[in-house]
Order: sequence, then C-alpha cells, then structure tokens
Amino acid sequence: MDRRQFISGTAASLALWHTQPFAATTLAANKKTPKLIWIVLRGALDSLETVIPAFDSNLSTLRPTIGLAKEKLTQPMQHGFALNPALKNLYTWYKDKHLLPIVAVGSGFESRSHFDGQDFLESGLNNIEHESGWLSRAIELKQHSAIAIAQSTPISLRGSDEVNTWYPSKLKHSSDDLYQSLQKMYQDDQQLSSKLSDGLKLRAITNGQNLSKKNGKFATLAKGCGQLMSALKAPDCAMLELGGWDTHTNQNNRLNKQLTTLDDGLAVLKESLGKHWDNTAIVIATEFGRTAKENGTKGTDHGTGSALLLAGGAIKGGRVLGQWPGLAPQQLFEQRDLNPTSSTFSWLATLLNQHWNIEPKQATKLFDGAPLYQEKLVS
Amino acid sequence: MKITTPALIAANRFGYGASHQQLLRANQNPKSWLKQQLTPVIFDSSLPSQEQMAQYVTEHRRNKKALGKKYKRSSEHVQAIRQLMADSSIQAVSMDNSISWRLLDFFSNHFSVTAKGAKMSAFAPTLEREAIGPNLLGSFNDLLMSVIKHPAMLIYLNNEKSAGNHSKLARKGKGLNENLAREILELHTMGVNSGYNQNDVIALANGISGWSVKRPKKSKSGGFTFLRAAHEPGNQTLLGDSYRQQGVEQGEAMLERLAKHPATVSYICRKIVTHFISDDPDPVLVNKLITRWQQTNGNIKQVMFALIDAQESWLPAQNKFKTPRDFVISSLRLLDSKPKNTQMIIRTLSLLGQGPFKAGSPAGYGDTMSHWDGANALMTRIDWAAKLANARNAKKMSGVEPQLMALMSSRNYTMVMRAESRQQSLTLALMSPEFQRR
Repeated sequence: MDRRQFISGTAASLALWHTQPFAATTLAANKKTPKLIWIVLRGALDSLETVIPAFDSNLSTLRPTIGLAKEKLTQPMQHGFALNPALKNLYTWYKDKHLLPIVAVGSGFESRSHFDGQDFLESGLNNIEHESGWLSRAIELKQHSAIAIAQSTPISLRGSDEVNTWYPSKLKHSSDDLYQSLQKMYQDDQQLSSKLSDGLKLRAITNGQNLSKKNGKFATLAKGCGQLMSALKAPDCAMLELGGWDTHTNQNNRLNKQLTTLDDGLAVLKESLGKHWDNTAIVIATEFGRTAKENGTKGTDHGTGSALLLAGGAIKGGRVLGQWPGLAPQQLFEQRDLNPTSSTFSWLATLLNQHWNIEPKQATKLFDGAPLYQEKLVS
Repeated sequence: MKITTPALIAANRFGYGASHQQLLRANQNPKSWLKQQLTPVIFDSSLPSQEQMAQYVTEHRRNKKALGKKYKRSSEHVQAIRQLMADSSIQAVSMDNSISWRLLDFFSNHFSVTAKGAKMSAFAPTLEREAIGPNLLGSFNDLLMSVIKHPAMLIYLNNEKSAGNHSKLARKGKGLNENLAREILELHTMGVNSGYNQNDVIALANGISGWSVKRPKKSKSGGFTFLRAAHEPGNQTLLGDSYRQQGVEQGEAMLERLAKHPATVSYICRKIVTHFISDDPDPVLVNKLITRWQQTNGNIKQVMFALIDAQESWLPAQNKFKTPRDFVISSLRLLDSKPKNTQMIIRTLSLLGQGPFKAGSPAGYGDTMSHWDGANALMTRIDWAAKLANARNAKKMSGVEPQLMALMSSRNYTMVMRAESRQQSLTLALMSPEFQRR
C-alpha cells in the first residue's frame, strides 16, 4: 500500500452540483446525508480561557493577570464551567442544546511544535502522513465527497479524489463575455470545458464573493462554506481553518478578538446552512493546549491538553464532557500543562461512528487504533 | 519565415517558451538548439547564502528573546527571504536556457523542502541554489550527496537532531530519527514499494546519524558537519549489503549505492518523462533514458540528451497541462514582461496554488494534470490572465501574433484575433488549450 496516496485534491468533478442556490435552500434537510464541518484552529487555542473551569480555585493562582474576573463569566455551563463571554452565539447554541464542549482532550502528540502538531491532528495517524488525512480516509470509506475552503488541499483532506477546494478570489472577476468566449474556445476540449462550467457553477452558488476586508475574512469563508454545503447534491463535508491563536503575549485582547471572529463566523455559517443545520455536526479542534500558568508577557506558551467543541443541529449538546484532571501542580502534565484525560482521535472516531454510521472497527482504524467512547454525541 | 511545430515543441514542451527570434533559431535544428541550452543555471549572486541566513536566524532568535513584544524582524532579513524565494522564478522568466530552469524546477520539487517557521523560511530556498543548481548537469550521485548534506534538507527532515541509539549522545537522551532516511528511500531514490523494508530505513538512518549542521553560535561558519558522538557505531546492512565504514563514509557509501540502484534509475527516469512529456509516460521512452543513465553513470545532462533525441518526445499531441508555475513563467515570457518585484511573483504563484517552497510535504507538488485543473483553480487562472493582459501595454500584442498563429488551431486563432479588445484577445490566447498545454 502506497503510504502517500495519489492526491488530486482539486480534481474531483462538480458535474453533479446544481446551479441554482435559491432552489436549494428551500429544500428540507435530508437526514440521510448528515453533514460534517471540520474546523481547525491553527496556533493552539487556549482552552482554559475558552471553556473556563470557573470552579477550579487553582486557575486564579496560575493566571493572576490574564484570568477573567468572576463577574465577567456570565455564560455558565454544566459542572461549573463557563463559556468565554466573547462566544455569544455559541452560548445560544449551548442553551439550545447544540453545543457540546469536551474538556481536557489531547491528540497524543508529544512535541510542542505547531506545524507538527497540526500535521499530526490532520493526518490522524501515529506517524504523520502528509498525503493522507483522517477526513479523506473517512470519505473514501463512505464514498462521500468534500470541499476544502482553502487555496490548496489541507492534510486532513488529502488522499481522496472526491475533494474540491474553493476559496473566494482575490482577483477581480473577469467579464461574463470572456468566460463565454472561453467556453466557446473549449468546446473541443472536454476537460477544460467541464472545469470551466464547474467553476462558473461554484461562483454562482457562492454568489461570486470576493475576499475583501481582512476582518470579514473568516465570515466570508464560513458563508461560502454554508452555501456550498446547502446546494443540491452538495458535498458531505467541508473544512475551514482559522489561524492566529498563538497568544504568547497580551492574550486577553487577542483572544477576545479571535473568539469574536470565530463566533461571528460560526453564526454566519449556521445562517447560510439554512435547514441543513439540523443534520450538521461541526467539530472545532486545535493542535494542542497552552500552559496552565501565564507567562511573563501576559500570555501563555505551548501546552498539551486542550478542548474540543462539537456543535450543530445534529449534536446532543447542552452538556460539558470530559473528565477534569484538576489544575493543582501535581495534577498538571509535566507540572505545566493541562493533562489530557481523553483522546481527540477517540472522540472523532466516536462521532464518525454515530454521525456517519461508520463501523466501530473501521472508525478506530481511521485513527490507527483510537478506541471509541460510549458517550452519545449525536441526537 | 514560418515557425515550425518542432520549434514550438522545443520551446514550449521542454522550456518555458521563447521569443520570436529564438524560435527562428530553433526552426533550423530544434534538437541541437535545445541541447545548447543545457548550460548551468545562474542565480542572483548578491543574495545571501544559507550560512548568512543562519546568522540572521540566530540574531532573530536572540533579539526576539531580548525585546519580546517590541521586537520587529529586520526588514533586511524579510527582504532577503523574499528575494531568495522568488529568484529562480525571476531568472526563469528572463534566461534563454529555459530547459535548464525547467530541469532545476524538476529537481527542486523532487527534493522538496518547505518554508515553515523562521528557520525553514530562511533555509528552504537556499537548497536549490547551493546544492541542486551546481549539480544539475552532472551526476545524480553528486546531486543526491550534496542535497542530503545541505543544512536545509538535514533540518527539514530532522536529521540534524538524530543520534544513533548506541551513540554517545544517546546517553544524553537523544535518539534516532528515521525521517530523512525514509524519505531518501521513498522519495529521493528508489521510490515507494520498490523492495526496501523498515530494516533498510533503520540501517540508512543509522548510516547517516551524526550528519548534522554546524551551529553558528559555536562556530563562525554554518554548513554541514559530522558529529561522531551522534553516529551509530558498528556495521550496517542495507538492501543486503554490509557497510563496514565507521564514520561519515558509511552514509556516503550507502547514498552512492542508492544513487545507482536500478529502482532509483527507473523511478527518476519515469519522473522526468512525466514532467516533460506526458502524465502517462511511454515505457519505450523511459527505457531510452534508463539506458543512457546506465551508459553514463547517471549523468543528468546525458539523460536529458536522450530525452531530446527520442522521437517519442516530439509527438504533436500536447499531453501536459501546465502547472501554475509553468503557466505564470511562460505567460510572462510570452509577453516579454518582467515581474515587477519579488512580491508579485510570490503572490501570484501562491494565489494559483503553487507558492515557491510551500508544497507542505517532502513529496513536493503534484506533477500531473489532476493536481492543477480544479474548477476553482481554473477560474483563478482566467482572472489572473485577464489581470496580466489588462496591465500591459497592448501594443506589444503584435509581437506574439506569428507565434500564436503557429501554436493555435486556426479556429482558436481566429477567435483570439476577433476578440472585442486587445486585452481580451491576449487573455484568450493565454487561456487557450494550446497555451495551457504543452
């Protein structure tokens, strides 16, 4: 078996896609096609200020200056956790039982390098495979298709022919007249002609969005993602990425801004998914956590245990899962990081089993043997 | 004088295209015109070396630590990285020995290193200038040796930290890292599923343990160093042969063996044909390259001569779809348009999905049509072509007309000439099937 399966990330055919986005949104969601949206937060999200263990008295000792004051924690959740106040939309989801945070998770990756950590999370194998991602192995198994909202295929989706990419153009769109002339010119070139009409379909579905303001970037991507996922015969899963989480300095302001961007984008995603929200599971993960103790520059450094956020109409939320390891010095991993008590890959395998009906054995195999958990994640 | 099909093939299939004058020269004898172009690639010699970049990186780390938030990377450093990353693309736009720059691109992608993080961003673009370029037309063995010993490769695939499990450094908690050894076998030499196994990977990793990089803090110079204390002592068995050397020679002997292994020869010859001629390489053509390789002890220039000599390379059907890099460079050449600055070329290539030194995998970028003809990618190509056509002085269009007439079907040429504006006419030409393929 070739460990680097042939990637042809941009090649899958869009021939089945429908051109009329308006018709698509009026269709009821089909329970038979559960959708999955995989979001990677690159740079290591600080989970301790996202799903905040407000009950743990060690937190204020570890983080005397960057910890949020008690009165700011206005979004309480199960077991004494609080959701960061910037995550307003996500908190509504929580109350609607469509947000399920899982605390103290880890991928099992041992080094604290971002890039390797991300590659590991995306590949899902004990030895990183740059050309084979867990999500593409899952779609191969189910004969599903995927779209990466990216300029090139991320590792998570490498290794399958059924993956497309979409990214809003930074270039000015050409005139319709030019596209028409090209279509005419390509009439004897089947390959180019079918790609061009697919490209025009993609533009139609996403209303030809351009990437303009930097602030609105994630929201733009999320909107396009939702639109593509709710077109007729749309792909079964999508991947989004959001960077900027490496908060070594001045964490409070930066994290607040980042979480707001994420929260706003997710709200747009939900809106553009329309009725498909009901059968969608969103998974939000990051490569590793950050140090439990704040550093000398009002930030945190690379750590180990982090949190996983599951969301969407298909998710049985309104709870907080994961065993809390505690933040006392002896409870920390290497006396510095949140100790992971469960495996990110096991949660992913469990979700794939329940959401996409992948056999337990096969789900485990997707992640080089990560065992499934008993917990019910999908409603 | 009319430009002939073989001249167009010589310029476009083997190179990045050529000017009208050059094509007239190619008309007379396309094969010898091409062979004469197999000359060394020459980079901008004012740009810093890997050793100089290593000093930048050390300073960068030191200042970042000392200044914390207030620290800003020196613009000189940032500028140097950009220039290094863009240099080979910029040279390829203007140089006449186009086939040699294509060959450089081939081997640079064969030995792909990715610019990720402060260190690799500074080092990745130095590999092709320092290890690949100088050995491009010599023996594959020399090329391989110099690539594997280059700091960019040693650091990219973590060999600089590897220590044999029975070496002195192993007692200090260091261990063997198989990363580079595995990729040498799988990507650089024999290719996957070609008869080696995990024991061979370990034997090679042991053989090259201690192949490391001088630390600029300690020694004034950077570059390759052999750390005896990290080298795994004892004999190694690779592919059934025993290697009894007890130092840097052990790994060298192993690489020498791998460079001429039959699996390596056929793997690389097939890859060359895939790159230049067809996604589905003709075995007859591949065999011609293999034979020349064996006759010349792996002389790359001679192997390229075999490719040029073979009639199978000159079939009129255009079987290769240009990669974004090929498309951008050949478009700029067609319009005789030099990239305005380093940022322009880097941004353009990234936008089209093939940022320099950004493959993100030691396997490099894909080299067949299916990697590049995605719907979204095609739309981006069209919009970029339109932007380029709009930005340039439309008067120059007349200079490329004879070439387009020779290249394109009469139907498509008529469409180009009847477009509503010169800009649109040029966009159509750049996006025509005849220009998108080679």
